[in-house]
Amino acid sequence: MKVSRRTFLSIGSFIVGGAAGTALSPLPWKLTDDLSIWTQNWPWTPKPERGDVSYVNSVCTLCPGGCGLSVRKVNDRAVKIEGMKGHPVNDGGICILGLSGLQLLYGPTRVKTPLKRVGERGQGKFKKISWDEALAEAAEKLGALRAEGKSHTVACISGSAGGTVPQLLKRLLTAYGSPNFMSVPTMQDAYAVTLKQMHGIDACPGFDVENADFVLSFGSGIIEGWGSPVRMFKANSAWQDKKIKVVQIESNKSNTAAKAAKWIPARPGSEGVLALGIAHVMLRDGLYKKEACDGAAGFEDFKKWVADNYAPENIAAATGIQKETVESLAKEFAAAASPIALCGRGQGRTPGSQYEFMAVHALNMLAGNINKAGGVQIIPEPKYIAWTEPELDEIAQKGTASPRIDGAGSETYPHAKSLLNRLPQAILTAEGASPVQALLISEANPCYTLSDTQAVKKAFAKIPFVVSFSSYMDESAQNADIILPNHACLERLEDVPTFAGLSKPVIGLSKPVIKPQFDTKHTGDAVIALAKALGDKIAAAFPWESYEACLKETLGDKWEILNEKCFVAAEENIEAPLQFFTQECKTVSAEGDEKQYPFVLMPYDSIRLANGFIGNTPFLTKTVPDTVLKKNEMLVAVNPKSACGDSLSLKEGRSVMLTTPKGSAKVRVHLSEEIMPGVIAVPRGLGHTAYDKYLAGKGVNCNELIGPAEDAGSGLDAVWGIRAKLSNVSI
Amino acid sequence: MDSALIPEGVKRCSPAKFLIFLGVVGAVLLWGVFAMLLCWIKGLNQTNMNDYYGFALWIWADLAVIALGGGAFFTGFLRYIIGKDELKNIINYAVLIGFICYSSALLILAIDIGQPLRGWFIFWHANVHSMLTEVAFCLSCYFGVLTIEYLPLILENRQLDRVPFFHNLSHNMHEIMAVFAATGAFLSFFHQGSLGGVSGVLFGRPFGYREGVFIWPWTFFLFTWSAAACGPCFTILITKITEKVTQKKLVKDNVIELLAKISGWMLATYIIAKILDTWYWASVTAPSKGFWLLDFYSNNPFYGPWILVLEVIICGVLPALILITESGRKSKTALLLAVILAVIGVSLNRWVMVLQVMAVPVMPFDSWYMYFPSWQEIATTVLPVAYGVILIGLSHRYLPIFPQEKELNPID
Amino acid sequence: MNKEHNKAKKFGMVIDLDKCTGCGSCMVACMAENNVPFKADETNKLDSITWMRVYKLTNGKSFPDADFCYLPRPCMHCEGEHGHSPCVSVCPATATDYSHETGIVSQIYTRCFGCRYCMAACPYHARYFNWWDPVWPEGMEKSLNPNVSVRMRGIVEKCSFCYHRYQLAKEKAYYEDRREIEEQEYQTACTQACPAGAITFGDLNNPEHAVHELKKNPNAFRLLERLGTNPKVYYISSREWVRLAGDNYLRQEGKSEKN
Repeated sequence: MKVSRRTFLSIGSFIVGGAAGTALSPLPWKLTDDLSIWTQNWPWTPKPERGDVSYVNSVCTLCPGGCGLSVRKVNDRAVKIEGMKGHPVNDGGICILGLSGLQLLYGPTRVKTPLKRVGERGQGKFKKISWDEALAEAAEKLGALRAEGKSHTVACISGSAGGTVPQLLKRLLTAYGSPNFMSVPTMQDAYAVTLKQMHGIDACPGFDVENADFVLSFGSGIIEGWGSPVRMFKANSAWQDKKIKVVQIESNKSNTAAKAAKWIPARPGSEGVLALGIAHVMLRDGLYKKEACDGAAGFEDFKKWVADNYAPENIAAATGIQKETVESLAKEFAAAASPIALCGRGQGRTPGSQYEFMAVHALNMLAGNINKAGGVQIIPEPKYIAWTEPELDEIAQKGTASPRIDGAGSETYPHAKSLLNRLPQAILTAEGASPVQALLISEANPCYTLSDTQAVKKAFAKIPFVVSFSSYMDESAQNADIILPNHACLERLEDVPTFAGLSKPVIGLSKPVIKPQFDTKHTGDAVIALAKALGDKIAAAFPWESYEACLKETLGDKWEILNEKCFVAAEENIEAPLQFFTQECKTVSAEGDEKQYPFVLMPYDSIRLANGFIGNTPFLTKTVPDTVLKKNEMLVAVNPKSACGDSLSLKEGRSVMLTTPKGSAKVRVHLSEEIMPGVIAVPRGLGHTAYDKYLAGKGVNCNELIGPAEDAGSGLDAVWGIRAKLSNVSI
Repeated sequence: MDSALIPEGVKRCSPAKFLIFLGVVGAVLLWGVFAMLLCWIKGLNQTNMNDYYGFALWIWADLAVIALGGGAFFTGFLRYIIGKDELKNIINYAVLIGFICYSSALLILAIDIGQPLRGWFIFWHANVHSMLTEVAFCLSCYFGVLTIEYLPLILENRQLDRVPFFHNLSHNMHEIMAVFAATGAFLSFFHQGSLGGVSGVLFGRPFGYREGVFIWPWTFFLFTWSAAACGPCFTILITKITEKVTQKKLVKDNVIELLAKISGWMLATYIIAKILDTWYWASVTAPSKGFWLLDFYSNNPFYGPWILVLEVIICGVLPALILITESGRKSKTALLLAVILAVIGVSLNRWVMVLQVMAVPVMPFDSWYMYFPSWQEIATTVLPVAYGVILIGLSHRYLPIFPQEKELNPID
Repeated sequence: MNKEHNKAKKFGMVIDLDKCTGCGSCMVACMAENNVPFKADETNKLDSITWMRVYKLTNGKSFPDADFCYLPRPCMHCEGEHGHSPCVSVCPATATDYSHETGIVSQIYTRCFGCRYCMAACPYHARYFNWWDPVWPEGMEKSLNPNVSVRMRGIVEKCSFCYHRYQLAKEKAYYEDRREIEEQEYQTACTQACPAGAITFGDLNNPEHAVHELKKNPNAFRLLERLGTNPKVYYISSREWVRLAGDNYLRQEGKSEKN
């Protein structure tokens, strides 16, 4: 084909002329402008709706801290959580989790309706059912067990023991006929046992850190989320202002250690021994408060026992701390006007060794700070829930009289109120059918938070019927048969008794800020409905028409002020006589053979990683450093000088197999001089399998790598680490 | 088939061969277009750029092609303003290469910005203090000039030229080309300079920052100078490649040698200035901000002192020495080596002034981060190359680009 | 009226690094207040938008002498010389501006066309590009704050010292027939949230504001002062190595340089 000149030219001039004509018309200019305006208003970029702004006060239930919240609303949307000014716990401050609470409220992890399992257990396949169907099914299963005389095989795991909702659950179990109400134990439980043994009373500890002038912390993560986090942050800042000395005893340099005036890297697990070493010097040199201790029960025996066994030179090998350090520490501690010693590792998630708690508490007693300003306050357990005892029918009487599955309160474990850590083994070692035939779980995620998660999941598989009240699709909800979703925090009304080491505890009222977003039901109402469905004396034990009515009645004259201020003061301190101890308690050592496992693995807590019942929010995970999480891989911190055998060289970012007697996981190495050589520091709070794409599948759950270590004294879990090794990843 | 469009008196390859050439290069072009569309539709997450590398391969490519396209303005300057008449034999090609380089630069910029549909804000909401504004204005204007310079060439196509209007238009445009060349040269001096100013004014980035006169940092002048020196080298290089590909001599040696000589002296003076600038920066400017020279070249896996040696000595001093000596220019190998080194040198300079500026940590507790472009970035950078090759192919085939071709390659 | 009496404000921050615990509340408070988006994977910190970022500084020593310190880094709202901040002068489309009334460096999201020159100019990496379209999981867009517009893909954003709060406070004062706003009426989200009380915010020019005194603390320093950026964020640390980590020093420049 030959392009004729004519065609060529006419096409050419058409194109050129057309282009020139279009360019001279307003069209391209208008179009250019319109297109830029379009990019400024892309329909897929959300435009938050404007409206009336209001603030609603409430109390945070995302951790036991009990902070007051001030929630900003625009119309019916909650748009920002801020700290409540004037609240005794946090006075306007707020932690990172509380700040991101709206992501839980509005997040994709919410369970939106009652669900019934359709797939295999744990597969996460559910179908939506109505509340009537869900409650009827649960009541039918529970009714059948009761009819078979197996009421004592029903257990309940509650996130906490205090407050009306846990108490309603406990009441349901009692009226139904089971003694197996369990709460998730924390250092508060270890402290409760300590106070029972050393003062002979049921009480909670309060730490008057605001008025202390010397703080000796045995591994407590003061700014890692220990106690009520915001309150501790504030205390820490006040110490900085007042130049109050904080001494942190901890093998790794935690944030707390970095802020402390002095950091003493004692060998992991030797904190209790070190505390008694300090006690030794105080007693030897007569530095203790004689007026407080002389004549106290068991004091002379204690003095002799400590003198014989805990001389600083004798404990140097166990603690790795020089005699001189212990001596000067004891002198400084004793010389302070109001010194305080704290314990409970990290955030205090795991109760810890009874020996250690008692040793540290003995230091407080020697310093004479019990019920003194700046010292340890002894506070009675809350008493505002004063319901009449439920009337028990024959089945219930028989059921509640049977021994608890976890052994709490038995002869072996007389002081413990519940020993959730013992439950998985109790189920797994039982012959024949599981001793737990039905399990209720409220505000707890045992399938993630309990040590040796693999065993926990195996135990769960043996329980025929599991009911979860979770607001979120967590690991335990995923392993349930029926989910009866609770309203989320900020949707529900609930009393929040807050102890958490406060020197002046409060009872808070978490008020609903917005209407429930989904087809959920308050667990209090669900429990009342279940009781009503079970009928007879069980129903009679729950005379309230709704949870709100129950709460109102329970709080009585506190109701109004709580509604107004969101908090009231709890009980005053009680008299606490001193009782010293001498019984030989054993330190809890890390499980595993030293030769086979040259390292010690220690989980560490970070305020940026929620590690309890509440999973991390997207914002929280966003703040996790890339030295902890890279893509979906977790980094464990190791000192570059750690000896780890010939075959492996430690390099930043290197992929290795981390193996413990409980399991193994592929992780990456982060070299850090902040970690004691020979220790592997593993973040707590990663490795979720449930939740959403913002959390699931990121990193490894450290609880899968460590097993529970039952404390010989209390029966509580006292695990702080496990022996471990690193090896090359096999290709 | 297309013989009617081919200039008279020259020989061109068969249409089939030409179509195969177009097909192969066109495929590469399409790959680039695909990547370009990905970047426009899905956004710049398609690249490996990040908040530390806000400027990366594309900005480097922009700076490099504009420096290399500098042959157009400087040859035009020499031909029309200084009056080096011999250069008329290469000016067409210089203009074509310049046109390709500048249109490519504009295209890359349109891909590089996060909101291409708002790109015109740079004119509408112009901030006169920004070097980039200066770049955008001069670049667009000069692109217009280059189009005007290229247009008469198109009109010289055998068929178009037969139209009396086009013939006269083309003739008249040639008459006034000096005016455009002068405008182009003026604009170029500015935007080449302002491109140098882009990193030179960053007083928060001690690696790029330079002192200077009035509002212009030294890099302003160095960039213009280096573009004037190395742009013609690129024109020579592309001419040599075209000659190799077409297996024909297209431009006489004396023309090339003249251009090479001027380039050589430009390069020699430039490199002296560059060394002085580096010395002053290393001993005065950077230390005043707390940096030793070697702080910029250590503790990272890539940016070592070798870069300085390669840029200044091997790709600066060496080609300058070759080009300023007559024997160097006369030796085909030496000349080729020199222009290649000069082209690498100026490209490396632009790389360093973009990428290393980004890479050097400024906060003492920050770290070096390395960058490697994604395939989408590479494809969109190759896209203009493919487009340039096609445009050169078409222009060479249908337009009388090389006035000396007929004389050098008589058809028997 | 009384304009000459109304001295220009210069809002700034003093961050006490001795108190900062590195908890990250400031980062999340900022993200929640300013509708900062999040992706499923935010572990690549080079493309993770955090207007407020907490850096961890280490002293480079071995165990047990190793020490570290957290350093929250908002936008420094550099004044440079007479408002010639590194980023403002380079923006080709006047999409970022230095306000001589407040000292705040603003960013106009609808004007920015994403050339990222300002990011290249900022030595603090305080500027972030929206590499992705911001996406909130279904339902979570309910938590968005209407006082701050959501940014679209392809533009640069950064800390604004919660400028919308300044506007709201001014509006409120106007309605109440007051010319001036109180110190506590305008506080950034990070300042308000910090549980350690480490951040103090206010008008550096106003002797009645806490920052005015705090910035004179002998342990106060600013980041990269030698560059001439003239930032409005001050840090206080009692540790010398931390103060020295705030700027670059040549080897022979001893600690005497730092004062």
